Amino acid sequence: MAKKDKQQGHLEQNGGSRLFNIVNYTVFVLITLACIFPFYYLFINTISDNELVRLGRIQLFPQGIHFENYVQVMKIPGILDALFVSVARTVLGTLWTVGGCAFLGYLCTKQEMWLRKVWYRLIIVTMYFSAGLIPWYMNLRMLGFLDNFWVYVIPGLVSPYNVILVKTFIEALPGSLEESATLDGAGYGRVFISIIMPLITPILATLCIFSAVGQWNSFTDTMMLMPSGKYYTLQFLLYKYQNEASSLAALVRNTQDSSSLANVATKQTALSVRMTVAMVVTLPILCVYPFFQRYFVKGIMIGAVKG
Amino acid sequence: MKKKWPVLIVLLVAIVSLFLPALGLHVHAQLGEETAALFPQTLSLWEIITKGTGALPTDSVPALSLVHFGGWMTLAGLVLMALSAVLTLPEKKGFPQLAFAASLLSIGCLGGGVAQLMNLQTSLLYTVLFTVKAWAYIPLVAAFVMALITGLALRHAKALIADDKVLRRLSALVALVALLVMLLPAYVIQVPSTLTDNPKDAEAISRSVNLYQLLPGTEPNLYNEGQAKGVYTGILTGDILALEPYSADGTNISGIFLIRSSNAAMQTGLLAGMSFLALSLVLALIPRVDRWFAVVAGGLSVILIIASCFGLLFVGDADMYAASSRQLLHLGLGTVTPIPFLAGILALFSVVLGTLGIARANEPYFVNPIPQGLRIRFVAAALILLSLACILLPAGTVSYSKPGKSKVQATAEIRGLDALTFSTDAKLADPVDSKGKAVYDEDDAEYSRAAVNAATAGTSRTLELLTWGALLLTLVALVLLVTKKSPKAIILLLLLALALRLVTWLTISRGFPKAVIVGSGSLYLYASLPLLVFSAFFTNFAHLEELPKKYKLFLMMLPFLVAVFLFSYLPLYGWSYAFYNYKFGIPMDQQEFVGFRWFTEMFTNAANRDNIVRVLKNTFGMSGLNLLTSWMPMIFAVFLNEITRTRFKKFVQIFTTLPNFISWALVFSFAMCMFAADTGIFSKFMMSIGLNDPNNPTVWLNSNAHIWLKMWGWSTWKGLGWGAIMYLAAIAGIDQELYEAARVDGANRWALMRHITLPSLLPTFFVLLMLSISNILNNGMEQYLVFQNPMNRQTIEVLDLYVYNITIASKGTSLYSYATAIGILKTLVSVTLLFSANFVSKKLRGESIM
Repeated sequence: MAKKDKQQGHLEQNGGSRLFNIVNYTVFVLITLACIFPFYYLFINTISDNELVRLGRIQLFPQGIHFENYVQVMKIPGILDALFVSVARTVLGTLWTVGGCAFLGYLCTKQEMWLRKVWYRLIIVTMYFSAGLIPWYMNLRMLGFLDNFWVYVIPGLVSPYNVILVKTFIEALPGSLEESATLDGAGYGRVFISIIMPLITPILATLCIFSAVGQWNSFTDTMMLMPSGKYYTLQFLLYKYQNEASSLAALVRNTQDSSSLANVATKQTALSVRMTVAMVVTLPILCVYPFFQRYFVKGIMIGAVKG
Repeated sequence: MKKKWPVLIVLLVAIVSLFLPALGLHVHAQLGEETAALFPQTLSLWEIITKGTGALPTDSVPALSLVHFGGWMTLAGLVLMALSAVLTLPEKKGFPQLAFAASLLSIGCLGGGVAQLMNLQTSLLYTVLFTVKAWAYIPLVAAFVMALITGLALRHAKALIADDKVLRRLSALVALVALLVMLLPAYVIQVPSTLTDNPKDAEAISRSVNLYQLLPGTEPNLYNEGQAKGVYTGILTGDILALEPYSADGTNISGIFLIRSSNAAMQTGLLAGMSFLALSLVLALIPRVDRWFAVVAGGLSVILIIASCFGLLFVGDADMYAASSRQLLHLGLGTVTPIPFLAGILALFSVVLGTLGIARANEPYFVNPIPQGLRIRFVAAALILLSLACILLPAGTVSYSKPGKSKVQATAEIRGLDALTFSTDAKLADPVDSKGKAVYDEDDAEYSRAAVNAATAGTSRTLELLTWGALLLTLVALVLLVTKKSPKAIILLLLLALALRLVTWLTISRGFPKAVIVGSGSLYLYASLPLLVFSAFFTNFAHLEELPKKYKLFLMMLPFLVAVFLFSYLPLYGWSYAFYNYKFGIPMDQQEFVGFRWFTEMFTNAANRDNIVRVLKNTFGMSGLNLLTSWMPMIFAVFLNEITRTRFKKFVQIFTTLPNFISWALVFSFAMCMFAADTGIFSKFMMSIGLNDPNNPTVWLNSNAHIWLKMWGWSTWKGLGWGAIMYLAAIAGIDQELYEAARVDGANRWALMRHITLPSLLPTFFVLLMLSISNILNNGMEQYLVFQNPMNRQTIEVLDLYVYNITIASKGTSLYSYATAIGILKTLVSVTLLFSANFVSKKLRGESIM
C-alpha cells in the first residue's frame, strides 16, 4: 500500500492532479467536519451561559463556561435510575448475547450432533422473516415480559447473524487442538471454555462492541414494552424529553434550587436540559469509540466476507 | 515499589479535605431571614462526623430532625485508609495484600458516606436544600487513588503463601461473617417525635429490621401496625396534614404507611441464598467433600442474595418495597442501609477464596461423586422425581365470568394434591369473587349455581382420576428404574403418564362450559410434559456409561432452540389474529372469526386504502431515494482511496463512521439544536446570507416541506462513512499488479479509478444493492419515529411506523388484527423480494446473496 502511494505521488505531480488533490482534500475535510460539528455544537451549547444559548448566541465558540447543567441534570428524578438501567442492560445484554451466540456457534460446528443441519437451518431462517410488530408485542406480553427488566436481555440470546459469524470463524481454526483436548477427556463445555474461547476472542470482541452499542442506543423497546413507566433507559428519557416540552419545564423547575440562588446564566431551561441529557448519552460512545474503532471496522469486514 | 511517600500524601489530602466545605445549605425563603441566620452556610465532613445532625440548629427548626446524616461510614472509611497506608509503609516487607483489601473496603465505606450525602439532595424536604460540594468527594477519590497505589504495589509483593486448606477455611470464615452481617439492620424507619403531638406514636412506628426479621414474612406494613397499636391514627386514616410541611407531594406520604417491607419473592430468594451460603460454609469445612460443591453452593447464594438485595437497593420502581424505601429516603423518615449488599459482597468474596483454593489444589477439576455407570440412571430418576412434584403441584387455573360480562369474576386453582384426596377446592365448585360473595345464584336462568356445580364436579372427577393415573404410572416407573429393570417397560409407563398429562391439559382447557368458565393449564402442568419426555429419554440410555455424543450435543443445543422457538417462531402464532376480529382479554377460541376480511379491507375500505397507499408511497419514496444514492459510499471510498496521507485517511474514516454509532434519538437532538427555527446555527447561517427572514424564520423541523429529502439527508449523514468501509476493504483486496500494468500502459490516475478500482467494486455494490432492494419495505421506524410530528406525519409515516401509530402508540387494541394483517403481507412481500433478488443474483453472477 505504502509503496503504491509513494509511486503515485512520485509519478503524478502535474497540474491536473494537484488540482484534483486540493479538491479531494477539501471535500473530505468538509465531510468530516459535517460529521464532527454536531457533537461539538451540542457540547459548547451545554457548557455555555444558558441565557446566551436561549437567545441563540452560541454558534461557534462557548461563552460563559459553566458545568452547572451537568450537575443539575443529574438531579432530575429518575435519571440516575435510567443510567443504571442503561448500564445494566448494556452489560448483561452484551454478555448474554455474545456468550450465547459463541457457545451456540461452537455447537453448530459439531458434525456429530443429532440432526445438526435441521436445527442450524431452523435458527438461520429466522433471520429472513419477522412476525410483525403486533405478534411480537403480544408474544412478549404473553410470556410476561412487559414491564420487566429482563426483556432487554433474555430475548436476545440467539442472534442468527452472530451465530453464523462465530461458526464460520471456528470452522476456520485448525481442528487438531480440540482433538487433543477431547482425547484428554475434556467435555464439550471445557473444550469450549479453555480452548475455543481464547482462540475466538477477536470475533467475540467485535460482537461485544456491536451488541453493546445496540443495547445502549436502543429506545423503541422501552417505548413499547414498558407501558407503566418502569425501567426507563437514558436513551428513552432523551426521546421522551424531546417530545414533552411542557412537562420538562415543570421538571426543571422542580429540580431548581431556590429562586434567590439561581442566576440566569446557569438557570436550566428545557433546551439546556435536553441538550445536556443528549450529551450525557453520547459521552460513553465518544469515549469508547476511538479505542474500539478497529473492532467496528473488523466487524463489517467479517460481514463483508460472508456477504 | 520503592517509594512509599505517595501513600502519605494521599492520606494527607483526604484528611485535609475533611475540614473543607462538603455540604452546602440553602435555606428556603419561606423560613425568613431570621431562621436563615441560624444556619451555617456550609458543613465540613469533620463537623458531620463529630456532630452529626447536631450540626444543624435542630432546636430552632424541629423539622431538621428528619434529616439523617451520620459520619460513621466516612470515619470508618478514613480509618481503613489510614490502616492501608500504615500497612504499606514498612520498608522491607509490608503487608501489601492486606493494605489493598483495606483500601478497597475504605472505598466502600466512603462511597456509602457520599451516597448518604447525595440522598439529601433528592430529599423532598424543602425547608433546607442541600448541595454536595466537590470537597465531599475528595476522600472517595483519595481512596480510589490509594487502592490504585496499593494495587500496583501488589505486583512487586510476594505471593501469599496459602494452600488450598487455608483458603477453604478463610472462605468458610468469610461466609460466616456474611451470615452474621445480615443481623445488622437492613432498613431503619425513624419517625421523629416532633412529627406528632404524641411521642408514643412515633416510637411505635420507628424501628429497624434486619434481614432475618424479614424472612418469616410477618413484617406488617406500617398501616396495620399503627392500627393495631392504636397510634398515628390521624395520618393512617389519610389525614396527612401533619406531614405536609415536610413534603410537597401528599401522595408520597400516605404511600409509605402501606409499605409492606418484604415480599414473597424477596423472602424466598433471601432464604434460599442464606441456606446455600450456610451449606457452602459447612461443605468448605469438611475436607472430604469435593471442593466444587462448596463453591457452587456459594455461587448460587451470591446470585440469590444479590438478586433479592436489588429488590432492596434498586432505588426505582422495581417493586413495592423499593418504591416505598425511596419514599422513605425522600421524606427523611428512614433509610435503607447497604447491609444486604454488603452481605452479598462478602458471600462473593467467600466464593472467590474458594475458587482460589481449587486453583491451588492438586486435583482441581470436578470429581463427580456418583459412579460413572449410575450417572444416567441418576439423572433419569431425578427427572422422574421432578415430574412427580409437578403432578402434585397446581395443574391449572379456572376463571369464571358471567355471560355478557367480559370481566373475570373469580378464579380458582386446580391442585394436584387436592385431586389425590378426591376433595375439590370449595372455590372450584362455588366460586366467590374478591368480596367473598358467591358469583352464581340459584335463580340465574342459564348458569345457575347448580349448573356450575354440576359442570365443575364432572370435570373434577375426571381430573382426579387422571392425576391418580399419572402419579401411579410415574411412581411404578421410578421403582422399576431404581431396581434396574429393562428400560422398555419404564419408557412405556412414562409415555403413558405423558399421555395422561396431555389429557389432563385438554380436560382443563376444554372440559368446562366455555361461556362462563375458562380453564388454562399452569406452569407446572406444562413443565411436567418435557420432564416426562426427558426422563423417558434418559431411561433409554440408563444402562450406558455415558450419553451418546450426538444426543449430548443436542441437549446442549436445546436451550437455544427453545429460545429461538419462544422468540422467533412462537410470534408466528400471532398471525392468527389477522383472521379474527381480535378483542383484548378474550380467549382465542371465543374471538369472532372473520376470515380474510382485514386483508380485503385494506383495499376495499376507502379510508384504509388511502392510508395504505399513502404510507406505501412514503416507504417507497424514502427507500427509493436511498436506493438511488446507494452508489455514494462506493464513490466516497474510491475518492478516499486517492488520498495518500495515511493519517488523514484514518482520521476521515474514524470520524465519518462515528455518526453510525449514535441512536436516532440523538440524531434528532442534533437536528433540534442545529435547525431550531430561531436559534439554530443553520437558521443563523441562512439569515446571514439572506436566505432566511430573521423576523419570520423558516421552520425546518416542524414542517412538511421536502421531508423525504431531509430524511434522506440524515440517513446519508449517518450512514455514508460506515457504508464506505466495506468498499475500502474491497479496494484493499484489489490486485496491485493490475495498477502497475495499467500505469505502464500510460493510464493516468483518473483512468485507474475509472477502469480498475470502480469495476472491481461493482460486484460488492451489486450484492448490497440487491439486499437493499429486498429490504425496501423494512426501512425501520426509529428514524421516522423521532422526526415525526403533527405537521409532517402525512408524508413521513412509513409502513412500520404506521402500524405502530395505529396500534401501540394509540393505546387502542381495536386495530390489532388489521395491523397484523399488514404485517403478514409485509413479511410475505419481503421474503418474496429477497428470494427474487437472490434468484437474479444467481442468474447474473452465479452467486447467492443469502
